[in-house]
Amino acid sequence: MTATLSKVDRGRAQEARPRPPRRYRLSNADAKYSPYLFVAPFFVLFGTIGLFPLLYTAYVSLFDWEIGDDDPPFVGLENYRTLFTDDQFWNALFNTFSIFLLSSAPQIVVAVLIAALLNANLRARTGWRMGVLLPYVASLVALTIIFGNLFGPQYGLVNDVLGLLGIDPIDWQASTFGSHVAIASMVNWRWTGYNALIILAAMQAIPRDVYEAALVDGASALRRFFSITLPMLKPTLIFVIVTSTIGGLQIFTEPKLFEPSGGSGGGTEHQYQTVVLYLYQSAFQGFDLGYASAIAWVLFLVVIAVAGLNFFLTRRAVK
Amino acid sequence: MRHRWISVLICAATTAAATAACGSGGAANQTADGKTELTIATFNEFGYEELFKEYEAAHPDIKITQRKTGQGQPHHQNLFTKLGAGSGLADIEGVEEGYLSQFMSKAGQFNDLKEIGPKVEDDRWLKWKTEAITTKDGKLMGYGTDIGPLAMCYRKDLFEKAGLPSDPEGVKALFTSWDAYFAAGDQFIAKVPGVAWFDSAAQVYNAMHNQLETGYYDKSDKLVVDTNADIKKNWNTVTAAVAKGQSARLGAFSNEWNTGFKLGKFATKTCPSWMLGVVESQAGPENKGLWAVTDAFPNGGGNWGGSYLTVPKQSKNAQKAAELAAWLTAPEQQIKAFKAKGTFPSQNKALDAPELLEQTNAYFGDVKAGALFATQAKKIKAAQYKGPADGQIQETVFSPALQSVEQGKNADEAWKTAVEGAQKAAK
Amino acid sequence: MMRRPSFAIYGFLAAFVLGSAFPFYWSFLVASRDNSVLTGDFTLVPGGNFWTNATRVFDTVPFWKALGNSFIVSGTVTFSVVLLSTLAGFAFAKLKFRGRGVLFLFVVATLAVPTQLGIIPLYMAMAEFGWAGELEAVIVPNLVTAFGVFWMRQYLLDAIPDELVEAARMDGCSLWRAFWHVALPAARPAAAMLGVFTFMQSWNDFLWPLVVLNADNPTLQVALEKLQSGYYVDYSLVLAGTTLATVPVLIVFLVLGRQIVAGVMQGAVKG
Repeated sequence: MTATLSKVDRGRAQEARPRPPRRYRLSNADAKYSPYLFVAPFFVLFGTIGLFPLLYTAYVSLFDWEIGDDDPPFVGLENYRTLFTDDQFWNALFNTFSIFLLSSAPQIVVAVLIAALLNANLRARTGWRMGVLLPYVASLVALTIIFGNLFGPQYGLVNDVLGLLGIDPIDWQASTFGSHVAIASMVNWRWTGYNALIILAAMQAIPRDVYEAALVDGASALRRFFSITLPMLKPTLIFVIVTSTIGGLQIFTEPKLFEPSGGSGGGTEHQYQTVVLYLYQSAFQGFDLGYASAIAWVLFLVVIAVAGLNFFLTRRAVK
Repeated sequence: MRHRWISVLICAATTAAATAACGSGGAANQTADGKTELTIATFNEFGYEELFKEYEAAHPDIKITQRKTGQGQPHHQNLFTKLGAGSGLADIEGVEEGYLSQFMSKAGQFNDLKEIGPKVEDDRWLKWKTEAITTKDGKLMGYGTDIGPLAMCYRKDLFEKAGLPSDPEGVKALFTSWDAYFAAGDQFIAKVPGVAWFDSAAQVYNAMHNQLETGYYDKSDKLVVDTNADIKKNWNTVTAAVAKGQSARLGAFSNEWNTGFKLGKFATKTCPSWMLGVVESQAGPENKGLWAVTDAFPNGGGNWGGSYLTVPKQSKNAQKAAELAAWLTAPEQQIKAFKAKGTFPSQNKALDAPELLEQTNAYFGDVKAGALFATQAKKIKAAQYKGPADGQIQETVFSPALQSVEQGKNADEAWKTAVEGAQKAAK
Repeated sequence: MMRRPSFAIYGFLAAFVLGSAFPFYWSFLVASRDNSVLTGDFTLVPGGNFWTNATRVFDTVPFWKALGNSFIVSGTVTFSVVLLSTLAGFAFAKLKFRGRGVLFLFVVATLAVPTQLGIIPLYMAMAEFGWAGELEAVIVPNLVTAFGVFWMRQYLLDAIPDELVEAARMDGCSLWRAFWHVALPAARPAAAMLGVFTFMQSWNDFLWPLVVLNADNPTLQVALEKLQSGYYVDYSLVLAGTTLATVPVLIVFLVLGRQIVAGVMQGAVKG
């Protein structure tokens, strides 16, 4: 840690460079206002369409609001107070973090590896790249059946294989850890190739001459990877880590598919109910829109906090 | 000016969003040629496609648009989303029996069909079917379409193996009461190792529960889960059977459950009329002739499934919508729907129709399935009163709790969890 | 010229791709046979029923209309997301303006909003705009995404040397021109990638289109959902539908995939 702190930040070094005087024909107004024009579409769209649901949710969270109510009673922060003493919420938060850790860490490491392999001078490049992205377009119906057959407690393929190895079958539905592993493997299967391609795009932006210089210096492949590739990937790694933190903590589809009944309880005793599943269950099975909105806001703050933390850790770790 | 279109696009996006609010205010449900458009949202198969054409031919001023969803779950989520949003519902919305308690708790958002609908004969539907969708103050919130009367399906070959009677008449003795049913189960599992008596505890328990006079709520909407002794009694009976190994421990509609049919891992199945198709599709041609069904069900009858047509208050053509819904749910039409898609009618007259009584099922040994289920439908005495969170308690509390017992959890602890869960759901 | 990689690399990648592709092959397998593949009768040899099942799909759902709608929706969304995200990403990465940091953090923060509850208020908004049931309702909310802005910004941070932007400006280029001549070419590989992701996601989007679109004007995923009607699901029919729906996506990927590969070859922007 101390070693990394003493280094000069790369970005800052760039900013410190003297900037050319503005004596050219560049219009002042253009430089001043164009950037705002460039980012305006996002904010206009968010302001007209994205913001309303956000504020609406915040508003609803202050009421004892059932779906379809005309005149719900105002309860202030009561929903939030209930939430903090709700065992099911804490259980869901634990499950979310557990599945998140089991999925994102291995996923990013493998994704970097796959990206490095894809970045080699392969024949039929497009084919390989297309291949690793296939899980991203797989139909959810097919996935439900396939993973259901793989992790079936009684007739599942994984347990059959474990049996051949002399290992007792695992009840992937009943066991907390077992279900988390099963869901995490589903997540990893779906998203590793996707992250690999994101990283690959960044790898391709690294100029070839940097490598060639290192080759001339006689640096080994491993050394080239750690001292050239990884640092140059920093912005993209930050991107991948922040987005997969955000996505991972909002995990919903995979645990929902894993529930054999198609419900959102996340297992018979909520062994694998995540926060968003709980939110969904509260809103669309319990009709408790006020409470679900409170869950949504608390989750939002948790995600921001963890994503922010990961951002700073990544920024320091990868130099 | 190569990139002027970029600014055009941005401008378009901005202004479109800003001005669209003033676009189409009161979209009247009128088509270009002045017809009234009625929308009807259904799921699964209601079997109405040909009937719409017939109705349009008889009513030249009406145009019917069907919004069909495949599965019930997305249909109802859609329904409740638009209820929450306050707009967007169809003029007629299908509601399934499993969502009835949620629907009834939102009855204020729907029309009383006695008030806005045409005159409909009082005894059109089976009494319990109408009872279930009538509010406490007597409002009729929907017209019944189809039902799912319960009978018992069983594996003839496995019964023979266990030395149990297997012909449709002889087997009835095993299905007179739940006590007889579970006693036969004991006998069965002792004789046929590796095969369970029933598929899933929750499936059996729910059928037992729905026969109770009082369920999770009493009529004043008070939750009585912990004071209604019948509930605990059923719980104890079913969990005891699980402990003895009578359950195949396969959650309904899961992959494992499907495989269980194929491999013949259980000998009986609580069978609503529509389940015959499920059994046939899951057990597959190689098990043809092995499954049978009989017109007996422990402790009388029961119902699982079936739907209603409702008219939301959002509808701008509520009266015309109610007329269409009333027409569709008349016995003559429901019989046509039955012939088209096999939806089992809930109308008294339709249950006596020859087309229905003569229907047979080849997979189940050419049994007269129509007559069999019509008999079963008439055995149901009354609809159990369902409180506001009833459906939620059944689906998200009691069924998972029973499954947790099947997964090895202590039955007393699971009971405690279930009671607490029900109390939380009811809050 | 770099040397060709070893067999081990091909072997490893082949295993990975095989695992990734399995569900597709398997979907096709079921679609070309019947339900019995799912319960017990496991096989890896396709049957001869695919065209029969495909014909049933065409008879059951308005496939071609839905396909057209899906192309309109996904095409428009992809085009707009790529362009507007690159524009904003470029500004956040390479232009200096007041409030840049705060605005950017705001963009990233919007990613953290759970979307599941949003469908009720979003439907209210769309009904207010008069777009309920119209394709606008699935297009407009997705015209530019925080994900896209974030991605393009991170990519462009290192992909365009600062000197290049400065040089363009000193040549008297307006920022528009700098964007057009410097940023866009440099962004090509990332933009193609974003295009692929956006297209696929939009193509597979289900819940929101199902809620907001009417049955007579559906996208492909909404139309295909109808194949699951009935008390038991005919998976050979359903998976025939999903197989047919995936083909156009793969074609788009092939087209854009060349762009991604082309991006590597053009070292010019680095100069």
